[in-house]
Amino acid sequence: MKRVVSVSLGSSRRDHRAEVELLGERFEITRRGTDGDFDRAIQLLKELDGKVDAIGLGGIDVYLYAGRTRYVVRDGKKLMDAVRKTPVVDGSGLKNTLERETVYYLREHTDLLPPGIRVLMVSAVDRFGMAEAFAELGCDLTFGDLIFAAGIPYPIRTVKELEELAAKLLPEMTKLPFHMLYPTGKKQETQDEEKVKKFGHYYREAQVIAGDYHLVRRYMPQLDGQTIITNTTTAEDVAFLREKGTGCLVTTTPEFQGRSFGTNVMEAVLVALLQKPREEISSQDYLDLLRRLDFKPRVVYLR
Amino acid sequence: MASHEEITASLLAFQEGYNKNERLKIMNRDWDRVVLVQASDIPSQHTLELRNGELSVREGAPPRADLTVIADSETLADLFYGDITPTEPYMNGTLKIIGSEDDIVRLDFISLMIWGE
Repeated sequence: MKRVVSVSLGSSRRDHRAEVELLGERFEITRRGTDGDFDRAIQLLKELDGKVDAIGLGGIDVYLYAGRTRYVVRDGKKLMDAVRKTPVVDGSGLKNTLERETVYYLREHTDLLPPGIRVLMVSAVDRFGMAEAFAELGCDLTFGDLIFAAGIPYPIRTVKELEELAAKLLPEMTKLPFHMLYPTGKKQETQDEEKVKKFGHYYREAQVIAGDYHLVRRYMPQLDGQTIITNTTTAEDVAFLREKGTGCLVTTTPEFQGRSFGTNVMEAVLVALLQKPREEISSQDYLDLLRRLDFKPRVVYLR
Repeated sequence: MASHEEITASLLAFQEGYNKNERLKIMNRDWDRVVLVQASDIPSQHTLELRNGELSVREGAPPRADLTVIADSETLADLFYGDITPTEPYMNGTLKIIGSEDDIVRLDFISLMIWGE
């Protein structure tokens, strides 16, 4: 049996274990949250190094993309560098393939993404593939990167402006402690009421809200049937989304035993299946494998 | 070591860079803040005030500040001239910013929007 472990800076309340068979291989997939404790995450990564088949880093990004430029998040890189032997991924490779494909799939197979639909991405630099796919399909886009990460009420409307602002800001912003830019640990279990009140209208004006689940959740006001496109959701999260008035939930990663895992976990699973050195794995390898696995987004109507 | 006058000149350059950036003014329309800029090695205090997206600079301390920026005079002059970014000195403790975490990120953001590549 192959063992894949996701070490997350997120809450340990979301810890989970599942066994699954993929392409004839048995997998034990485990998620271990460290409640925002950076040192505990480093220690855990060192303990797992060399003892499991692949590791995913959750609750943090190592790489952010805007256009062809890749930005390295300093805190994320520190975690990655703690692992010497086992392949370690942050999900960014899969976001650029699986999530892009999810958008195309929804256009082709559902009526959830007609041209001109108003889409809010709470953050796009951590999901640039998805952002580009929405733009290609003619969606009316609002990127909330400045609104929600920095509290600046400035909606970015185009991929070009997103790239331009990223080039100015990300080389330096990525050096800040990650918790200053993204909710980690216990913050993931609460909402930022001030920002919900101040910026909730961006959600209500949109028909589709897409992006990282913790960000989507943290700033979500009462909705009116909007579609949410995200990744990691537990049964508790689905109940929360239903209570908030979500119309439809789309998760980009497949469900294993009642919950969808993060892209970092799924990328770690693919790496374990590919059995190639991490640096030799291309986007095409992921795409080919995803087709063989026949992964499809999960679409759940909540009302 | 930079002089009080050099810090004043750097803050005026910062103000000029800010005021030329119409998009930045729009972005900060909701962020009214008073910032005390204080040198740690010479007697030098300045006030930056953001109101309705406009930035003003004056010498001396304000009666009440939302944020306080403290560094040695050389770092302050380099910072406001855009010769260095605030992130590194903030992370290594050369630059201290007293205020809420959200406001600190916002100040960093403004500086990068003016001087960032």
